Amino acid sequence: MTDSTSARAPKPPLSQADLLYEAQQRRDRRFRTNVSVSWGIMLLILVYLFSGQDFLGIKTIKLDTEFIRNNITFIAGGIGQTFLVSALSITLAMVLALLAALGRLSTIPPIYALSTFYVSLIRGTPLYLQIFFFFLALPQLGIILTGLWAGVLALGLNYGAYMSEIFRAGLASVGKGQREAAIALGMTPRQTMQRVVLPQALRFAIPPIGNDFIAMTKDSALVSATGFVHEVMWRATRVGRAQFNNLEALIMAAVFYWVMTLILTYFQGLLENRLARGDR
Amino acid sequence: MMPIVQISNLDKYFGRLHVLRNISIEVAPREVICIIGRSGSGKSTLLRCINFLEEPSFGTIEVDGIKVEAGEKGKGHRQLVHEVRLKTGMVFQEFNLFPHMSVLENVIEGPVTVKGMNRAKAIELAEENLDSVGLLFKKDEYPNRLSGGQKQRVAIARALTMEPRLMLFDEPTSALDPELIGEVLNVMKKVAKEGMTMLVVTHEMGFAREVADRVLVMADGEIIEDAKPSMLFTQPKDARTKALIDRYRTGER
Repeated sequence: MTDSTSARAPKPPLSQADLLYEAQQRRDRRFRTNVSVSWGIMLLILVYLFSGQDFLGIKTIKLDTEFIRNNITFIAGGIGQTFLVSALSITLAMVLALLAALGRLSTIPPIYALSTFYVSLIRGTPLYLQIFFFFLALPQLGIILTGLWAGVLALGLNYGAYMSEIFRAGLASVGKGQREAAIALGMTPRQTMQRVVLPQALRFAIPPIGNDFIAMTKDSALVSATGFVHEVMWRATRVGRAQFNNLEALIMAAVFYWVMTLILTYFQGLLENRLARGDR
Repeated sequence: MMPIVQISNLDKYFGRLHVLRNISIEVAPREVICIIGRSGSGKSTLLRCINFLEEPSFGTIEVDGIKVEAGEKGKGHRQLVHEVRLKTGMVFQEFNLFPHMSVLENVIEGPVTVKGMNRAKAIELAEENLDSVGLLFKKDEYPNRLSGGQKQRVAIARALTMEPRLMLFDEPTSALDPELIGEVLNVMKKVAKEGMTMLVVTHEMGFAREVADRVLVMADGEIIEDAKPSMLFTQPKDARTKALIDRYRTGER
């Protein structure tokens, strides 16, 4: 009781709570620093492993640096295509996913069935098969798609089926009370969906959509199998096979994919922070 | 005087459960009615049937001249229900403010989206109502920055901005910390004083005694007593009413 005035004093000395808090902060900082340092060391070891240097009698792998120099721009030239395929596919996937998720809410049997049928069929077959289906099987029926569109269609349909679960969870995350408040105001079902439910569901879905986009940039490598989309993987296997330098070519491609993923993950983090700052 | 709300022979089933049994009520304009009863007595369901958040199984509901028969289907029925909702404001136990909209956006959402009101006009009206619940200074905040009591006051302003003829309050203070209940009840008193017709499901006996014109007591889906608070709280007729009041009295704050 007598301490209550000192708590309100203008500049109190560091209290025990402050000291404990600072110690905790120091521990957290030290942990993060040590993790970063460890990462650096692991990266150095990995780089060293492919440096061709001898160290204490341990031979490391010697890469063909001339091949790398000659082909790095060719492989890097596929990054644009990789992004293009991923961006087009994720756009298609989001539309399909939203439709499939809304279909799951429908009380009209054929619409509900269509939604579950689509998700079941796509999730029940391999993505690799789906890509070949659009590229190799459809021409037999007279439908000829370019490699790009066959890939986009396959990736979009495939991811749409998986992402419909994200939207479904997003829609489910909006409480019943929200719908009731909208209805009580006199909103129609459509207005309730558009003004109240969807904005909240989409906000919920954005972080997992980001994750799927990152996954998509890597799965887009499968499109190289059609041989007609000149993205990173296609270019890497092409020069690698032609000159028996698959090791160098695939390492280059791996580095590009990794860096792309890191950059996207960084932006994903920024986006999530922004959303977290909002409401709720 | 012509009643503004007339509920006739209302029945509601949840599956096999008979939750409202042949309820009939008349509410005069400007009347404030508190509905009390133990949980599960059907009082919230009754309130939610009035604006068709729950579709009644049988009976008629008439609000300000709009008469709706329960259990009908089709466009005409939906239109009548819509008109009833336009005349009815509702305040929920859990506030149900829209978290992705600022306070002001929450309050103008109804008039702009539902009534197609011009935005400037809606803002003017919204600010008036926010001022009257004492929260105009919070208009640009998001709901997560408000206390429970403030959220509920915004929810009241949101309902009032639709300019309803009737306000339904479904346990408006039950989710609040005790020290925040007073500010919400005060706003409700003010709304009552301004002449709003109100149906209030509540556990706040003090409020019922002070503000209500009539108190309805519900038990097992029926209205077991309907009396002026001065009568009800001093000479309850039904033993269940007496038990209910005693329970509140012993637990009174």
